[in-house]
Amino acid sequence: MIHNLALYLLSLLFLALPLQQTAQGETLVSALSAHEVNITSNFTGTEITVFGEISRDAATVARAGSYDIVVVVEGPPERVTTWRKERIFGLWINAASKTYTNVPSFYAVHSTRPLLDITEDNTLKVQRTGLVNLPLAPFGVRLPTAEDRRAFREAFLQERVDLGLYAERPDTIRFLSSTLFATSIPLPANVPVGTFTVTSYLYNGGIVLAQETQHLTVAKKGFEQFTFDLANDNPALYGIIAVVLALFTGWLAGVIFRKD
Amino acid sequence: MFMIFGMGGAVGFLSGLFGIGGGFLLTPLLIFSGIPPAVAVATVTTQTVASSSSGVLAYIRRNAIDFKLAFVLLCAGIVGSFLGVWLFGVLREMGQLDLVISLAYVTFLGAIGILMLTESLRAIARKKAGGQAELRRPGQHNWVHGLPFKMRFRRSKIYVSVIPIFAIGSSIGFLGSILGLGGGFMMVPALIYLLRVPTNVVIGTSLLQILVTMAVATILHSINTQTVDVVLALTLMVGSVIGAQFGAQIGQGLRGEHLRLMLALLVLSVGLRFAFNLVIEPQDLYSVTIDMRLPQ
Repeated sequence: MIHNLALYLLSLLFLALPLQQTAQGETLVSALSAHEVNITSNFTGTEITVFGEISRDAATVARAGSYDIVVVVEGPPERVTTWRKERIFGLWINAASKTYTNVPSFYAVHSTRPLLDITEDNTLKVQRTGLVNLPLAPFGVRLPTAEDRRAFREAFLQERVDLGLYAERPDTIRFLSSTLFATSIPLPANVPVGTFTVTSYLYNGGIVLAQETQHLTVAKKGFEQFTFDLANDNPALYGIIAVVLALFTGWLAGVIFRKD
Repeated sequence: MFMIFGMGGAVGFLSGLFGIGGGFLLTPLLIFSGIPPAVAVATVTTQTVASSSSGVLAYIRRNAIDFKLAFVLLCAGIVGSFLGVWLFGVLREMGQLDLVISLAYVTFLGAIGILMLTESLRAIARKKAGGQAELRRPGQHNWVHGLPFKMRFRRSKIYVSVIPIFAIGSSIGFLGSILGLGGGFMMVPALIYLLRVPTNVVIGTSLLQILVTMAVATILHSINTQTVDVVLALTLMVGSVIGAQFGAQIGQGLRGEHLRLMLALLVLSVGLRFAFNLVIEPQDLYSVTIDMRLPQ
């Protein structure tokens, strides 16, 4: 980890050097500890470290107050339905439902301080930063009351937080020097596969001064990838292979434990 | 992973002990341990293929299968599982699949558990009274034999209408693909009491029908809802194959009616657990399902 860190910081410095000569305002340079996360059969979750540097030069205006960093990690979008059980004839049955589309399958916000200490609510809304500002685009029928809409939204977010797929973690970005920062974003075992975006924002005085986006690929590898791809791309073949495997196992068991 | 393996082993042990397929215990166990009901059902259909295939091979060697009867049954079974898998997908989309699976299990396990319980208690009481544990002898004819479209099955030495055969095969295929159970515990009594199929060919024939129907259901579930989990299925298979060997050995040392009483209590308690989950207010009223991944 330490070795990695040093390596990344070094590469960051090199990346930042040419930019410093032309920049008027601050620029933000960021890097990830890995651009690819492989999910193998013994995957129990991992961490991705985001490193960055705020670069200034002689021409950069002096700022009052400190810099703040916000890092937002978003997983590939999906369409989800939230159900609510109601008691019908004594049984608890899924009754009302709400479908949202284009919601991130993974969403983590890390920041140097609580988001509302960094900037105003309005700015966060415009930047779509923070769990409360996550846009959940309704799909299909609209829920009748505002209270229901709020309840479904909150239930959905809570479920995702409980699964470790959504998180808001203030005070998790540490400054290694006055311009270098780093944060570790945990990816749980159930992390979705696909392309993730990792966007770092530089804030000062409640305004975004700079931002930069990196991409992260989460992919299944080995047997996991084989079965996952096959199940999605060629489900009939997947089913046939499942049957053949089952027949083989049964036959083998019969041979091994045959008594006569 | 080890828990799943252990569950496979435990259910395999029970299936060896009681001489049952075990699907109707394995699916509930998986559901109670937190695996989504849709995945549990589809994966157990795959596991059933494995557990019935070694039996089928053994019965083929003993020439204890009526292939003609099995063929008619499994044609009906395939029709039934097509219907079942289709309904499975529709219910899943409507968000009611879990409810239907639970309700069906409550009904089935409740009914079968009570039947088995009374039967085994009566048998034990008879034994205590000193009488012979009498076997019910099926009569020569019943209403089933009055139906048209008769067909002759030489191996089973029966001459019956294809209508009841088709009804039995298709309803087992239908239930099997929706509930993730082979249905041997329903098919064997139906073949014996309704069709008068001799006991020595009943088990092999019904196993063959289960094998083919569940194989078709596995492929259909893979295509329709992508709910078959090969890794999970393999873990279950290996566990249950090993467990079944131990179960069979211990089962031979126990008395038949005591075994049936234990099985009845087990079936009833699983049924009650489903009923309990339906009636008690859930901790979290809300649940989330992922409908689809969107292109980026």
